This record gives sequence, C-alpha cells and structure tokens, in this order.
Amino acid sequence: MSSRSPSENFRRILGRVVQQDFVGRAGELERIMVQAEPANAGRGLLLLMEPSAGVSELLRQAYDQLFNLRSDVIPIYFAITPHETTAVSAAIEFLNTFVQQYIAFRRNEPVVSNAPLTLQELLELAPPADLEWIEQLVESYNRLRFGNDDKALVRFCLGAPQRIPSGRGRAFVMLDGSQLAEYLNGAVVLGTEILRVFGRGSFSFVVAGLRRQILEAAHDAKCDFELLDTLRLEQLDTAEAAKLVEHVARRQQVATSEIARDLLVQQFAGSPFFINIFLQAAREKHASLISYVDCERLYVDELFGGHIHRHFADLLEEISPRLDTRHLLIRLLWEAAAGEDQVSSFEVWRKRLHMTASELEDVLHRLHVQEFVNWSGVIVEAGAGPQAWKDYLKIRYRLDVLNEPRALVVADMLADSLKRAPHTMARHYKQIADAGLRDLISRFNTHRVPTVLFDYQSFTNKYKGAESDAVISGLAAETEFFKLPQTIHLASCAAFFSEMRQICEEDHCLIAHTFEEGSYSDAQQVIWLAADIKSKLEVDLEVTRAWCDRLENMAQRLGFTRFQIWLISNEGFSEEADKLLQRRRVFNSNRQQLGLLAARISETVATEVVETSERDEFLMVVPMGEDNELIAANTAEQIAKRLSFRPEAINQIKTAIVEACINASEHSFSPDRKIYQRFRVESDRLVVTISSRGIVPANLNGANSGSETKQAAEERRGWGLKLIRTLMDEVEFERVDDGTSLRMTKYLRPQKSANE
Amino acid sequence: MDTSNGKVVRSHCVGTTAVVYASDYLNKLTGEKIEHECRRQLNCGCRALVIDFSDTKLVNSIGVSILLGIIDVAEKCGARIAFSEVNNETVQLFEMLGLTRHVVLAKDEREALMNLSHYETAPIVH
Repeated sequence: MSSRSPSENFRRILGRVVQQDFVGRAGELERIMVQAEPANAGRGLLLLMEPSAGVSELLRQAYDQLFNLRSDVIPIYFAITPHETTAVSAAIEFLNTFVQQYIAFRRNEPVVSNAPLTLQELLELAPPADLEWIEQLVESYNRLRFGNDDKALVRFCLGAPQRIPSGRGRAFVMLDGSQLAEYLNGAVVLGTEILRVFGRGSFSFVVAGLRRQILEAAHDAKCDFELLDTLRLEQLDTAEAAKLVEHVARRQQVATSEIARDLLVQQFAGSPFFINIFLQAAREKHASLISYVDCERLYVDELFGGHIHRHFADLLEEISPRLDTRHLLIRLLWEAAAGEDQVSSFEVWRKRLHMTASELEDVLHRLHVQEFVNWSGVIVEAGAGPQAWKDYLKIRYRLDVLNEPRALVVADMLADSLKRAPHTMARHYKQIADAGLRDLISRFNTHRVPTVLFDYQSFTNKYKGAESDAVISGLAAETEFFKLPQTIHLASCAAFFSEMRQICEEDHCLIAHTFEEGSYSDAQQVIWLAADIKSKLEVDLEVTRAWCDRLENMAQRLGFTRFQIWLISNEGFSEEADKLLQRRRVFNSNRQQLGLLAARISETVATEVVETSERDEFLMVVPMGEDNELIAANTAEQIAKRLSFRPEAINQIKTAIVEACINASEHSFSPDRKIYQRFRVESDRLVVTISSRGIVPANLNGANSGSETKQAAEERRGWGLKLIRTLMDEVEFERVDDGTSLRMTKYLRPQKSANE
Repeated sequence: MDTSNGKVVRSHCVGTTAVVYASDYLNKLTGEKIEHECRRQLNCGCRALVIDFSDTKLVNSIGVSILLGIIDVAEKCGARIAFSEVNNETVQLFEMLGLTRHVVLAKDEREALMNLSHYETAPIVH
C-alpha cells in the first residue's frame, strides 16, 4: 500500500493543514500507513508520545491518506476531548463517530465525516448494502443504553468496528487523546477498556497517548504484546522543527526571520505543539517574529495569558482541581525545581501538600505522566518538564505565592528570557560543534584507519602544511593501520562524575564502552576515555599531564581494567607533551586529524550559496574555509576600484576583510559555516559588513582583545582585530541577536584631524 | 626545494644561504609550508635565510605570526634572516605588527644575499 496519493485528486477531510504543509512526521506517517496494510490485520500500534510532541494532526493526515486511497481499509479517527466527562459518554461518541465515518467512506463523501449527525440521521444516509447491519447495531445500542450495565455499553460501543460484515472493508481505528481517558469519571476506566476491546478485536488500530501512561494502560488491560507494535513520538529534530516553523509561519501569515526561527526551535525544544500555538498567537496578535525581542515579548505574553498559559493552567487544574492545594503544589514544584536538591520523599510531599496518601498518589501519578516530575513510588524528583513549564511555574509562584506586583514579574520574565536567548543558541551551537566527537566515537565500528591519525606529532612531521589532497593521498599510502573498536555505549563523563561539569562542557569528555574486533568478551572489552581540550595553541605539558591524570584516575575509580585515553586539541600538543603522551600510551589528535578520521568513516559535503545584490549594495555569502576570504577580498577590490580608492587603500581594505573573515571562521562555532558580506557604496566611503552566525567571542565585544598579557603566540593570534582597527577608518560591532556583525568603513579621502 | 608535502615551495641555496619563495597569498597553510622549508634548510646546514616575497600580494595575520615563528627558529639556530622584494602594503603590515624590528628588508634577492654575505664575512675584531 502506498501512502502517496495523486495530489490533484487528494481531498482534505480531517487534516487541518494541506498535505504539503504537514512536515516533520513523514516517517511516522509512513509507519501508520504500514500498520493499515493487510499484513498487519488485527495488530495494534501504540504511539508512545512525549508530552507536547503533538499527535492529532499526524492521525488526521493518516485518515485523509487512507480515505483517499479508496482501498478496503476504512479509516476511523476518534479523538477523546476534554468535553467528554464519563467513559460512557466518550464510548457513545466513539460509536457515533465510527458509524458516521464508515458511511462517509462507503458513500465516498468526505463531507459526511465532519457533519453533525445523529445516529438516526446516519441510518438514513447508510448505503442500502449496509443498512441492515447498521440498523441492528443501532438497535442493540439502544437496548444497552437504557440498561444498567455501563461496562457492557462501553465495550459494545468500542467493539463496533468488528461488527462490519466481511466483504465490506476493514476498519482501521485511530484513537487520539487517550491520555484523557484515564481521568474520565465513572466506574469504567476507559483507557484500559479501549485497549482490552481493541486488543481482542479483529481490526487494526492505533492508540496514541502519553508514553508513561499508555504502556501502563496496556499492562493493566493485559494486552497480548505479541500483537502490539510501538512507535515512539518524540520532539522534532532541529531541521524538521525549523521547517515546521517556516510552514506554520507562512500559513499563519506571520513574518519571521531565520534567527527567530532558530530561537523558537531551540526554546521550544522542537515541540510541534508549542511551535504551533505560539505562531497561532503571533497571528492573533498581528505580531512579527523577526528579532529576539519580538519572540520573547510574545512568549512572555503567552506565559501570562495566552495559549501557553491556558495549556498549563488547564493541566494544573486537572492535576489538582482544588484551588488551595493547587497553590501549595505550585509552591512545592517551583521550590523543588529551583532548589539545589530536587529529590525528596513521598512523605515530604504529603506533609507539604497536606494530603492523604491516596490523594497525593493521584496527583503525583498525573504529574509523572505529564513528565513534570519523576516519581518512583518513594522518591519524587522535581525540575523536569519543558522550559515553558518552568517559566510558567516561576511566574505563578511569584504572583500567587509571593504576591509580587504583576508588572515587576512581567518585566523580570522578559529580561530573563532575553538574556537566556543567546545562551540557548550558544548551547545549541556548541552541541553541534561537540556532536562531532560524540558522533564520531558513536560510529566506531571496527573500521581500519591509519595509525597516524591518533599521533599528532607523527602526523605533523609528515603532513604539516600539505594540501588536503596530498594529505588524503598520503594517508591512503600509509602502511600502519589501527582497527577501531565497536562502540556499544557512549556517555558524557559527567554522567559518571557530576563534578566533571565544573571542568569542561558535557560533550567535551566522553566515555565509550567498546569491544575490539566486534567480539563480545572480557578480553576484547576496552573503555575509551576521550577529552576534547579547548586551546587555540598546542597544548603544553602541564595541561596534558593534568588531563592524563584526571582520566586515569576516573578509569580507576570506575574499575575499568582495560582502557584507552584519547586527547584531542584544536592545534595538537607540544613536543614535551608528546613525550608524555607516548610514555603513557595516550592517543592524541588535532582537529584536522579528527576531521580526517570522520572522513574515513563517512563523507561530508560542503555547500556554497551566493546571493544577489541590489543598487549600491552588494551582498555575498561564502562558505568558511578554503581561502574563501580571498573571494571576498577580491570582490571588495573590484568595488573599491570603482570608487577610485588608491591602491594602498584598496590593499588595506582587502587585508581587513581577510582578517574579519578569518575571525568569523575561527571563533564563531557557526552553525551554517557561512560568512555574510555586505558592501555598501556611498559617495565618499565604502562600508563593509562581515557577519556570521554563532557565538560572540568574549574578546570581540567592541574592545581590544587585551591580549598583551597573554603569551606571545596567543597574542599574535589576536592580531586580527587590532589590524582591522588600524587599516580601516571606522570599525564597530553591530548589535545582532545571533552571532557577530563587524562593520568597517573606509573613506575615500583621509579624514580630517580634530585640529583642522 | 621542498616537494614532500604536495605543492612545491620554491627554494635554492647560494652558498650557505637558502632563498625560499613565498606564494601569492601568505596564510596558515602557505606559511606552514615556508616554515617547513626553512626548518629543512637550517637542518641541512644553512646559516642564513632569504624569504622572497616577489610573488606575494597579500599576507594575513596568521601568515605574519608564522613568519615570526621562523625568525625565532632562525635566531635559535644562530642564522640570519632577510626578506626581499616585499611590496609596500605588506611592508606596512609588517611594520604595524612589529615584524620589521626583527628582520632585514632588502629591495630584492640580490641585495638580501649581499647583506647576508657581508655579515657572514665580516672580520671579527678583537
């Protein structure tokens, strides 16, 4: 069965967005379509959803695809809404929806799927071939409806899809919102009943719900797990989430920038739910999302009274319906989350909330299911949940518990969010940069690589200054090889020793459990301890020794009998450090070796984009590296010549541009590895702006680098900015949300001095 | 002439003086090539170095940093060093970054060789 339908004939039925605008869940949609295939008849699929990962549109899109396919699979989509107050009313609504969508499919009339019709009206629409069995179904329902057995009625309604006579198609039921089913009033636990009835029915189904709840419900229903498949639905990855922001913004007609898009993706951790409601809020408030301020203003509005506020307020009300205990809960949740010790006992919570054990169990269960806390039965760990939840808790605490003035809380939250935004992005960029090492080690799988890639000095002696082609061909001719082990588990050192967080960033120090030759025996097990040491220069003996000691000590404390230390530094290691590394048999590489190692394992592709220009202004984008700063410099030369700059001045402009490009490449952790250049021609000057996205280096805040006190070599590497200031007439850093933007001006004639 | 690392760094020897030719753009990569060649020549017994910049149009700060490293190495070996045929813009850059304090600048290769040979043959007066 193909999930593709000819788009010209495709009818949107339940989907709220057109097929082309549904982004980020292609794989999951494909998987649901597979579930509907005859081979999976009678099997169930549990969609285990991370809170706020969003599932409704995925199921509605699956419904539309199946409806349009016109095969023997009859899609039934049912969402349990908060309006249903009892299991019986929800089950009756399910029966109604089933009959309605069955008839819509059989008549091939999508409009019937959405029309508000009663069972009686549906009977009138039933095709003659189906009239008899649907009439019988309705009669049976009416008999049970006026009886006293709620459980029998619920089971009857939920089991309706298996009453379709053979030859009239197979029902494929998709149930959405099952997280609500557990909390419906009445004697029947609907969630358990759904899984019990569906699990024993002959039709295929998908039940989507919160991951912590749905598996528990399946166990309670004693489901046959051999007939159940699972699919985890997590937040979108960065690229898919960015695409979602673009699509939703276009649909909602909200103006956005790339910078705002990337911030939203990170701030909402790729959550389709938050991204959608946030952009909806932007449309409702006619807000543009161009800068960080735009985003954070709206975010704070949302926290105080918008969709995000309502979402969390509703959840809190469900979790703790009584106002007095809700206040206590907010206080406890925030204080636990904000304090150093986020872990406390069930008994402590019970006393603080003045609840009975069973009341607290109910509250904690709901908090646990929403992943706001981790509750093991005895211990409660607070501080979990998305950033928006933490911010919401904080403002509720300040407003409701501390009774602080609203204006103050709003202003503080806005300022805090704005201050946090660059850090959020910086963390993301560092993760991308660090992902290199993590990703590389995780892909170790008995590849044969030249030994020289783990020995900086040997590598330098052979290849320093060589063109990349020459290095590659040199490596191909190497005769000494090392077989990488196979990595089976990889984690940050901080996961073993939390104090490592004080020493380096999480992904800079990793521990990999590996097996040599892919052979799983004690003799072949080796633990790799890898550290990426941040340094602009070759790492000296002292630092190298400290890292060797630290990692060896760690290996001993963890009881690793066979281990291999691997140190990485941007520029390698000094000769003295190398002697120590050789003596202690420590692998060591610089950034170039790391790149070559990665290339041996998989290929990476560079891209180049050049944009167009407008009148008196030239825009250019070049990829970082490969001497591309020369392209920028030569372009500037051509433009400067038109303005009749003297050759000496032209050379100064070129040198300044080269230095600015090098700075951008060296310091920024740029996510897109591009340098953006703008050349603006004015009557008496040329203004060149060099920008890059990424992190603002500490020494580039508009002041001199202050490198005089540093050692000579490092000082030399800080010359770029000093040179630029000397060569150009005006140099200033422009404030930008993300990364750096350096504006340099050269006047056509020398500026007059102040005395003239 | 260093051919060990792919692209050639042109060089030749005049007596115990090595003349090394810089390329059109002196950056990290080309700077390291020159450094490698200079070290090689010093290891082979050269007592003086001339780095010729006749082809060099642009030098960046990393290139200058590497040149300073070469000067350090030459000093440690007791070798003299001269730069020849440096264009005006590059001279300005060298001045800005203090390079000219450590090196003799010559109009061309011939003048550089003459300066260095004069130093080499200068009589020691007691």
